[in-house]
Amino acid sequence: MNKVITINLGGSAYQLEEGGYDDLRAYLETAAAKLSGNPDRDEIISDIERAIAEKFRALLASHKTVVETKEVAAVLAQMGPIEAEPGEAAGTSASGAGASSGASGQKTAGEERAAGSGGPPRRLYRIYEGAMISGVCNGIAAYVNIDPTLVRIGFVLLTFFWGMGLLVYVVMAILVPEARSPEEKAAASGFPATAQEFIRRAREGYYEAMKGFPDRKARREWQRRFRQEMRAHADQWRYNWHSYWAEHAPLHPGMGFTLPFLSLLQGVATVLWICAIISLLATGAVFGLALPANVPVWVAALLLLIAYGILVGPLKFARRACYYSLGRPHWAWSLAFLLDAVVWLAVVAALLWLAFHYLPELRDAVHTLPSVAHQAADDIRAWWHGK
Amino acid sequence: MSVNEKFSAIRKGLLEFLVLQIIAAEKVYVADILKQLSVTEFATQEGTLYPLLSRLRREGLLDYEWKESEAGPPRKYYELTAKGREQLRETLEYWGQINGTVKKLGQK
Repeated sequence: MNKVITINLGGSAYQLEEGGYDDLRAYLETAAAKLSGNPDRDEIISDIERAIAEKFRALLASHKTVVETKEVAAVLAQMGPIEAEPGEAAGTSASGAGASSGASGQKTAGEERAAGSGGPPRRLYRIYEGAMISGVCNGIAAYVNIDPTLVRIGFVLLTFFWGMGLLVYVVMAILVPEARSPEEKAAASGFPATAQEFIRRAREGYYEAMKGFPDRKARREWQRRFRQEMRAHADQWRYNWHSYWAEHAPLHPGMGFTLPFLSLLQGVATVLWICAIISLLATGAVFGLALPANVPVWVAALLLLIAYGILVGPLKFARRACYYSLGRPHWAWSLAFLLDAVVWLAVVAALLWLAFHYLPELRDAVHTLPSVAHQAADDIRAWWHGK
Repeated sequence: MSVNEKFSAIRKGLLEFLVLQIIAAEKVYVADILKQLSVTEFATQEGTLYPLLSRLRREGLLDYEWKESEAGPPRKYYELTAKGREQLRETLEYWGQINGTVKKLGQK
């Protein structure tokens, strides 16, 4: 009769004989010591734990629930000793020149991080624990490291602007993957060990960007003037549209039809735009139209955004002019406004739902989208660092 | 010292290159890589492979994706990045040069 110890490996429980447990613990401790200079130490250890878990699982059956000591030894022999990578080795022998080689190992790790390639990346997931609806806000909060309540308030506020918050929420609830495995959950909020690293890198990136502009004041001034000009243009446009539509506004009886119709058009445009973005990210082509070879994906996405703005702009102004023609701010004004937003949202939601259920390509594209989006973000980051 | 022993350092150095080549062909997880290597002179173990893969990822040569497996915990499936492909291409070219040199040198 042997004592059995239950352990957690890679998210599942396994029962080991006590001798096997001691062997396994010694193996993992040696591994951690050998990798002590490696910036990815925790990740490698959890990789190894998961590999061991998989081998244990293969040994077990319904009538056999305990891993025996000799089986643990066989699995560990199969795994082989942990070989530290050159330049990352720290204290390769337990008794060796621990302090000095440890320090040099730390230094290489530090240098590598300074090169901007260290640390596991934080990724956007939905986090179900403690979620109000589907964990979107929770995930964003973990991603940018703020209180989830703030994010929720942000979404509610955004919803007052033509229902934008609600739409963004629904799209994110569909597109953003849920954090299921412990690793995904860790990645969603960033590894605790690298929180410091995250801040450091952000700060470094900031100074790096500042260095690129020798005259900071001139840059600020330029930015300020640019923004002012753009605002003036936008105001002028808005004013022109308003005064035009207010004068030549469709007659009141027709308004009941005009508003929802305009909303419908805008909804269709929005869905087309979302589909275009998805197909661009998933296939590198917009509705089968391949990009020229030298145009990166993010530039194409930006162009799509601008095209969408141009397409939807007149519709938006026309709709706003419709509200204005109903008279100065007035209860009817806000009612029309609300009705309009509801129609628009309903159209977008219905089209998205239909597309999702009847276009298998779209569903596939949506499934590959998170990894494609992560890849795109990584590319942009690499491009930024390479500049 | 046998030839096998003399080449152990070279094999170790070449392992990275072979791993890149295996991953270039298709998305694989660690057990696939070990299986493909096991029938060659480069047979290795998880204890060597995981630290190697982690370094290659940190160098931006490969990336991974989580996939659920029907039996056991989710697995990491590795694939090459554009940078990894470029490096593999360069290495193959260089390897060709070395091979040429080995064959040519000493011949009259």
